[in-house]
Amino acid sequence: MLLEHHGNAAVVGGGTFLLPRMTRHLLEYEHVVDLKDLGLRQITSTDGEIEIGASVSYVDVLESDLLRSNLALLPRMARGITGGRQITQQGTLVGAVCFHFPTTDAPGAVFALDAMVDIHGPDGRRSVPISDFLIDAFVVDLRPGEFVSSMRFAPQPSGGYCKVKHSTGSWPIVTASAVPGPGGSVRITLGAVESLPVVVTVEDPLDRTELKHRVDSAITAPWSDVLAPGSYRADIAAAVARRAVEDLMGVPK
Amino acid sequence: MDVLQSSNSVTRVDGTAESGRHEDQPRRQHGDRILTGREQYLDDISVPGMLHAALARSPHPHARIVSIDATAAEAIPGVEVVLTGERAAGMAKPVPHFMDPGLAGGLNTADFGVLAVGKVRWVGEPVAAVVADSLATAEAAVTAIAVEYEILPAVFEAEDAMRAEAPRLFEHWPDNVIGHLPNTEGDADAKIRDAEYRASARITSGRHQPVPMETRGYVGSWVTPDRIELWAATQNPHVLRTRLADMLGLSEERIRVIAPRMGGSFGYKFVGFPEEVLVCLLSRLTGAPVKWIETRADELLAGGREFTHDVEFGFNADGVLEGFKVRSVGNVGCLASWSGWGMAAQGCFTYPGVYKCADYAVEVIPVVTNKAPWSGFRAYGKEQANLVLDRIMDLISTKLGIDPATVRFRNFQSSEGMPGWVHNKHIDSANYAGALTKLLQFADYDGLRRRQAEARKQGRLLGVGLGYELTPEGGEMFDSLTRGHDSATVRVHPSGTVTVATGITSPGTGNDTTIAFVVAREFGIDLDRIDTIQGDTDRAPYGFGIMGGRAAMAGTAAAADAAREIRRHMITFTAAEWGCAPEQIVFGGGSVRATHDESKSMSFEELASSIYRRGSNGSSQSGITHADLEATKVAGPDNFHHEPDEQGRINFYASYPYCAAVVVVEVDGETGVVTVQECSAVDDCGAVLNSNFVDSQLYGALAQGIGGTLWEDLPYDETGISQAQSLKEYLLPRASDLPAFRVAHQETPSPFTRFGTKGAGDSGIGSGMAAVLNAVNDAIAPLGAQIHHLPLSPPRILNAIKAAGEMTHP
Repeated sequence: MLLEHHGNAAVVGGGTFLLPRMTRHLLEYEHVVDLKDLGLRQITSTDGEIEIGASVSYVDVLESDLLRSNLALLPRMARGITGGRQITQQGTLVGAVCFHFPTTDAPGAVFALDAMVDIHGPDGRRSVPISDFLIDAFVVDLRPGEFVSSMRFAPQPSGGYCKVKHSTGSWPIVTASAVPGPGGSVRITLGAVESLPVVVTVEDPLDRTELKHRVDSAITAPWSDVLAPGSYRADIAAAVARRAVEDLMGVPK
Repeated sequence: MDVLQSSNSVTRVDGTAESGRHEDQPRRQHGDRILTGREQYLDDISVPGMLHAALARSPHPHARIVSIDATAAEAIPGVEVVLTGERAAGMAKPVPHFMDPGLAGGLNTADFGVLAVGKVRWVGEPVAAVVADSLATAEAAVTAIAVEYEILPAVFEAEDAMRAEAPRLFEHWPDNVIGHLPNTEGDADAKIRDAEYRASARITSGRHQPVPMETRGYVGSWVTPDRIELWAATQNPHVLRTRLADMLGLSEERIRVIAPRMGGSFGYKFVGFPEEVLVCLLSRLTGAPVKWIETRADELLAGGREFTHDVEFGFNADGVLEGFKVRSVGNVGCLASWSGWGMAAQGCFTYPGVYKCADYAVEVIPVVTNKAPWSGFRAYGKEQANLVLDRIMDLISTKLGIDPATVRFRNFQSSEGMPGWVHNKHIDSANYAGALTKLLQFADYDGLRRRQAEARKQGRLLGVGLGYELTPEGGEMFDSLTRGHDSATVRVHPSGTVTVATGITSPGTGNDTTIAFVVAREFGIDLDRIDTIQGDTDRAPYGFGIMGGRAAMAGTAAAADAAREIRRHMITFTAAEWGCAPEQIVFGGGSVRATHDESKSMSFEELASSIYRRGSNGSSQSGITHADLEATKVAGPDNFHHEPDEQGRINFYASYPYCAAVVVVEVDGETGVVTVQECSAVDDCGAVLNSNFVDSQLYGALAQGIGGTLWEDLPYDETGISQAQSLKEYLLPRASDLPAFRVAHQETPSPFTRFGTKGAGDSGIGSGMAAVLNAVNDAIAPLGAQIHHLPLSPPRILNAIKAAGEMTHP
């Protein structure tokens, strides 16, 4: 069905991105395919991997004991989703990644956790690492007739997160997810700062100068929009990264 | 003036009322229905056979309309009619301005049709309207209309528009300036020149607007030739009826305008929009009722408050302002029939606010550009004068190292000569120092400063800011339908229930409850015995709707007068019945009784019923033999001076409330993000009739003031397209962005209104804006940084901090 109507059909998760844009005629589709009845609203643990189905909402993420102990970054991120309950009850993590609006929370956090994206399509199933799946702003590796059925993660019990935005209703301006790397290093994934997440690794997470240097030199094409120019995003990225590291390491503010 | 004697609202001059004190004051009537979504708003109106309209809007900021081809749109099944500007011009006269600059002495003006004719001057200007059997079909048909444009050069910034070579919006004007509006007193130049200290600043206020929760909308039904019914989300239904009659050449009494319950108006829903008459024309053409509802993106086109103020001032070592000059350029977007440009004029008039400085020269220059027009916006320009004046106070404070509160105390106008002429205004009453004193105690200002000192020791950027404002209310424009008085009909039914019909409308503030409350008190009956009718020209007496605190000043007075006339008739009847003197009869507790004889008592219901059924024998006095229990009265404040005095002064505002606010912010020095930690305010709107509603007005105004100073912004790109088309780009404050407001009132009654009220609609905007601006500057002052560019967005604040760092560490 998706193949037949390719270009004129949209897959809807929670609809929190799609439907307002369709209402305002920014996006127009004659067919909307809702995944709701495919039984994809599940968070499971198999073979040492955590799998999050396409219909799992932010509330499901927030309430999942499995995620809290194995992928703490995701509920940490979901807590601050803009829009309050109306969005967290309805919006889906997978849907947000598929829409790939860069200045949102989900793409950066999922990128930080090295998600594997499971895709269902006319030629069967395939899996793509998140770093390949996200191609550009609003562009992901989905071919005609395909949709994402779930995302899989290796457990990562700890994660630090920081988001800067102007006000409650604002899109994220810069997000940073920090996860431990080998040998005491920390890997920081900056979201909303460019069209694709930006990854920076620091060996000594407490070396602020080095952290700032690494972040500043990693940002080459910062995202600009009506809320903030790219120069502002570049200016604050290092501070946001540091705060995510401090959140990870439990440094008191 | 009547001092209210009921236990729940004691008018006092010293003002010790505090928030929450008036717990026995009535809550909003029908508040449960509003809260649970059971009230009927404009979009809930559905009339049998109703069709839907959509507008084709200009994609260009400035272009000549070469041709409009609607053939393809008309061919779409379900499309009933496509109306263009030229055809509409043949059906209706131009849309009268809400406030025509041409009537204000030599200012430039223009006529505006129902839809654009010949030229478009802003992106979004309606060029054609489609009516179809569904909104979706109408919207689809809009995209099928082919408009050929010849694109003209456009101009978006006011300073650019003022250049001689700038593209001209209106060919018959000499330039793009509506006019130069002066407000001067004394000799500002000399005072500034001779002052011990001199300073200057450029303060800019960003384009933003009211964003009512409910957008505009209209349902017009002109199916039979001599009768129009129009449901309108409007503040002024009677005035709208008069305008429709004029535009359409129909007898006024054959037009009915109904304004259902409103989801906020804030001046945005003043009359003056072409869509008011457009839906009527579309109904006439289709022979069916037609509905048009504004989308949020359409609503966000309207602008307001985009000013650049260049300020120059002189002061002495004590911090006393000796003289000031302000040149304010307002980018009012394109002139339209809408209610916006006048905000430039009222802002100009508001100087010198609450301050005594008598040497000033203010010039406000409203300039047209190819941005969308301004609409009216609560505080109506007065907030600009207050923003500037209260920033001056803080700049003096910073320069001299004198506490900003002290600087204000040294500059306040005293109450001497009030009521009477003070500067350019006929002031009713005031105690400016009193309200600030009360605020400082109430908000524990000294404690805030101690907290700030502690925070600064930890390297935190905590700022405390004061703001003070004068908000002229109840404006009356001579020779216009903006008047100070209003009307009420009170009707006591045989069953003893009461209907109050008033020309005042409610934007959602609860003024209907206050008007009913005033009537209930006159009759000594419960509020729930009273029903209020508003916003229906067939059911309510002629009135001017809602603006500028008119409900508290005019609406209550007219209702009380009407109730008192009926009460007199009731007393006459009762006195004859009981054979006693009229003075011996009192109302209260739902009954009428005689003071001299406890056995003489009857319920209000019994009294009303008796008068209706039998009258009293043997008398021919009015109200006795006939059931004369209905009265219509017109009343309003008495402080207008439309004839210039010997100094040429006129006074067109009824009252002069004022408000002081203090705001505490913390600035994140690494990101520029501002957190508003505290906000307290003390206003003086004269006597408070119901502090529940006055408090709520203040909460909302402070929120709007804070929002416009920190977040709300309508930036344009270089092609003239507004970049904020939804509430994801236009950042309205949400509850979690705001602190728990603490408000209190000082009550200095007006001698010119029936109950000593002054109106509470605008207070909180100007003081809130100034307090936030001052607080943010106070917060970043230790870094040597300063910012005068509103909104104080995080990127701008961070830039200010960086600029200061580069100054000190080059």
